[in-house]
Amino acid sequence: MVNGKCFFIHNLPLTIYHLKLNMKNYIPIAIIAFFFFSCSSKEEILQQQYAVEGMALYKTHCENCHQADGSGLRDLYPSINKSKISPEALTCLMRNGKKGNGFMPANAKLQGLDLAELVTYMRDEWGGNKQIYPIDSVQLALKNCN
Amino acid sequence: MSCSQDKKLPFLGPKTVSASGDTVYHQIPNFNFLNQDSVVISEKDVAGKVYVADFFFTTCPTICPKMKTQMLRIYERYKERDDVRLLSHSIDPDFDTPSVLKDYAARLHVTSPKWNLLTGDKAKIYQLGQKSYLVSAQEDPAEAGGFVHSGAFILVDKNRHVRGIYDGTVEAEVNHLLEDMEVLLKEQ
Repeated sequence: MVNGKCFFIHNLPLTIYHLKLNMKNYIPIAIIAFFFFSCSSKEEILQQQYAVEGMALYKTHCENCHQADGSGLRDLYPSINKSKISPEALTCLMRNGKKGNGFMPANAKLQGLDLAELVTYMRDEWGGNKQIYPIDSVQLALKNCN
Repeated sequence: MSCSQDKKLPFLGPKTVSASGDTVYHQIPNFNFLNQDSVVISEKDVAGKVYVADFFFTTCPTICPKMKTQMLRIYERYKERDDVRLLSHSIDPDFDTPSVLKDYAARLHVTSPKWNLLTGDKAKIYQLGQKSYLVSAQEDPAEAGGFVHSGAFILVDKNRHVRGIYDGTVEAEVNHLLEDMEVLLKEQ
């Protein structure tokens, strides 16, 4: 939920930009406010959007087994909040699942953007990595799955 | 807390009236299944005990993990008590053999024989679920995992009467089950 709060603050420049169009009198204030909040770049805003969407997807597709905090369920479903898996391997695992021992169902319905958002959310939440995982990287990873 | 001592639970399911005019409540019939240790479990094992029943299968990708998370709460709370049992029936008994169930139980760290994971004749399990425990359980190729089943936890009293049905995927409902369990344990 921390993300939700940041998301709001990071969106302020956009909100103020819209105000600027409507209320010419507030242009100086808007400009000052814009620079005040400009610590959040476009890239950061996008990362926040991915992470928020990714959290919703996580709830739908992953949380049942791996739990809200990624701690898993004893030895039945592994914890994923301390995993060192690469984003490429994670992308393949989510799409294709895992056969045999430690079976995990495939999620063929998850598209490029979904997977990008999921990886962005998980590595932000549990890896402290604030970088977006772009769709291009997802597509490349999917081409090279084992 | 004071009112919980007076709380009475309903008798669920069809009721009939006997020739002598007494109300006869719906009762779980005799049954016979194998558990994760390949031990036969029947109505004799729940005689005089309060038990919780549910329906699941080990490869279920949808609601079962949530159900098992909640069933573990019940297990942890009552695993030392001899008057409580848990019966989880597999609705994919062809795949869920005793050894598969044994492995599943081990991975859930379930060691007490009080939580029985049951397998047996598929038709009998479905019939027991639908007719006796009043929940749906059947094959459905259109469903994720190939089976459709309810996420219900069925609370059964010491005389095999169904006294409550709860959504086993919802923590708040399972809290109610735990409260009602105390009511039934006090019944004679």
